[in-house]
Amino acid sequence: MTNVPALLRRELNAYFASVLGYVVLMFFLLVMGVTFAVVVGYLNRGPTQFTAMKILFSMFWLPSLVVVPMITMRLLAEEKRAGTLEMLMTAPVTDFEVVFAKYLGAVTLYTMMWALTGFYVLILRHFSGGDAALDLGPIFSGYLGVIITGQFFIAVGLLASSTTNNQIAAALMSFAIVFLLLIVLNWMTFLFPSGPLGKVFHAISAFDHMEDFQRGIVDARPLVFYLSGTALALFITTRVLESRKWR
Amino acid sequence: MQPMIKVENLTKRYAGVTALNGVSFEVQRGEIVGFLGPNGAGKSTTMRILTGFIPASSGRVEVAGLDVFENSLDVRKRVGYMPENNPLYTDMRVSEYLKFRSKLKGLPRSERKERIPEAIEMCGLKDVSHRIIGHLSKGYRQRVGLADALLAEPDLLILDEPTIGLDPVQIRQVRQLIKDLGKRHTILLSTHILPEVEMTCNRVVIIHHGRILASDTPENLMKTLNAGGLIQVEVRGPGSEVQAKLRTVENVDTLSAKVLEDGYVRVMVTPKTGTDPREKIYQSVSSNGWTLRELTRTRTTLEDIFVQITREEDEAEEERREQRRSVR
Repeated sequence: MTNVPALLRRELNAYFASVLGYVVLMFFLLVMGVTFAVVVGYLNRGPTQFTAMKILFSMFWLPSLVVVPMITMRLLAEEKRAGTLEMLMTAPVTDFEVVFAKYLGAVTLYTMMWALTGFYVLILRHFSGGDAALDLGPIFSGYLGVIITGQFFIAVGLLASSTTNNQIAAALMSFAIVFLLLIVLNWMTFLFPSGPLGKVFHAISAFDHMEDFQRGIVDARPLVFYLSGTALALFITTRVLESRKWR
Repeated sequence: MQPMIKVENLTKRYAGVTALNGVSFEVQRGEIVGFLGPNGAGKSTTMRILTGFIPASSGRVEVAGLDVFENSLDVRKRVGYMPENNPLYTDMRVSEYLKFRSKLKGLPRSERKERIPEAIEMCGLKDVSHRIIGHLSKGYRQRVGLADALLAEPDLLILDEPTIGLDPVQIRQVRQLIKDLGKRHTILLSTHILPEVEMTCNRVVIIHHGRILASDTPENLMKTLNAGGLIQVEVRGPGSEVQAKLRTVENVDTLSAKVLEDGYVRVMVTPKTGTDPREKIYQSVSSNGWTLRELTRTRTTLEDIFVQITREEDEAEEERREQRRSVR
């Protein structure tokens, strides 16, 4: 894993060497900023059972669905298309190092984006008069929730990117998979509110997990679920990358 | 001493297509070897296997005594590779890219500080080192690819079509660079441009349809294959008589003649293998009192040899196919 720092640095630079990094960042901040403004306006009307950050975290599906395909589509598909993969893989680096660095790069960008919403917390804190009115516990667990789900979707997006040399195809593929894992699974929990099937759907639905995280509940089960899901996706991605060797 | 590259019975099959078929060759340390073949002959495939990008279907490939499949990472550390079309990260600056590549190649910081400026200097990139690769001309990009290949001072340089797409001036510069590099590195380069091989390489390996057809120095190839080349004679005299006389000259195999507009006859003489009948031709012409204005031996180029070898192979292939068909 000695080559990961150099590879990671290249990945992060690549986001901001092209217009992509800025566009994604702008999109995210626009959506979040508007949501935040509306929520604060709504809360100003009187007491509610929601907190501003809770509503913001419940918006997590939008970046997962839109931002994740945008920041993962390029990762391997573009290297394949441009032929730079050959340069990369004939340097003394392993396939997994490359995959892992690309995953880390996307996760870092994604985390950075969410970190910028930390300003909202500061704003809330300033105007709500200190810690007493702002419960930091659920905020931390909420951030944990959006990052842990997001990093899994990124691993899935990276897998999609490894299967093609067309960025658009990769983006659509990862959109479709994240849509299935996120939205369709959520609908399933409505279709099957109880019963054995309902139990399974509730156990793996990201909306259910986020519900817990927003409330400040950090359950080990979703953490294990997402991290092992990531491990599996990265493993398959490495295999796909290696497939040039046995095809 | 063990050879730098040792390829034994290398075969590569893609789904349904045999790209390489029992290829064997060796490259000794310090050699500059040209890998010559038409497009699709298997040059790039061989190079990709040598650099560990793809494995062979069967056969043995060693670089510096190491098996490229089993010791892939060790081999990659010893090889500087410039792939076909020279893919680069076009969004990076030249110096930034070379720094990134030297890190990947495991150069420690102190060595990086020495090697990067050295490579930049050697490849004439000083003026553009701060520029973004995507904004550079093809010639400069090619040099960036070369500089990258050189970074870790590899034992072996593998260059896939290093001069493709360059203008004549750039081609000359890159060839000179390769020649200079040949003093310090073993080089295997592929090309389908023949003068390139004649100018830069000590040895030529001709590959066609995934098979090695010849492997020798350019000079030897010409000697064994060209059979003396043609002799062009221009004589002022009666056409048919000149032809008849020259045909009787010793060692003349066949000839063809053409009467030119200014009264001269141009005769193309094919001498018997390994002979030079020019002296006898002169004597014959002057004893008849004709005027001789040209007597030259046209040198067979590598191009002729190449066309000849590949055509022979194609014909042999056709024959084999014919035979198979008739057996059925």
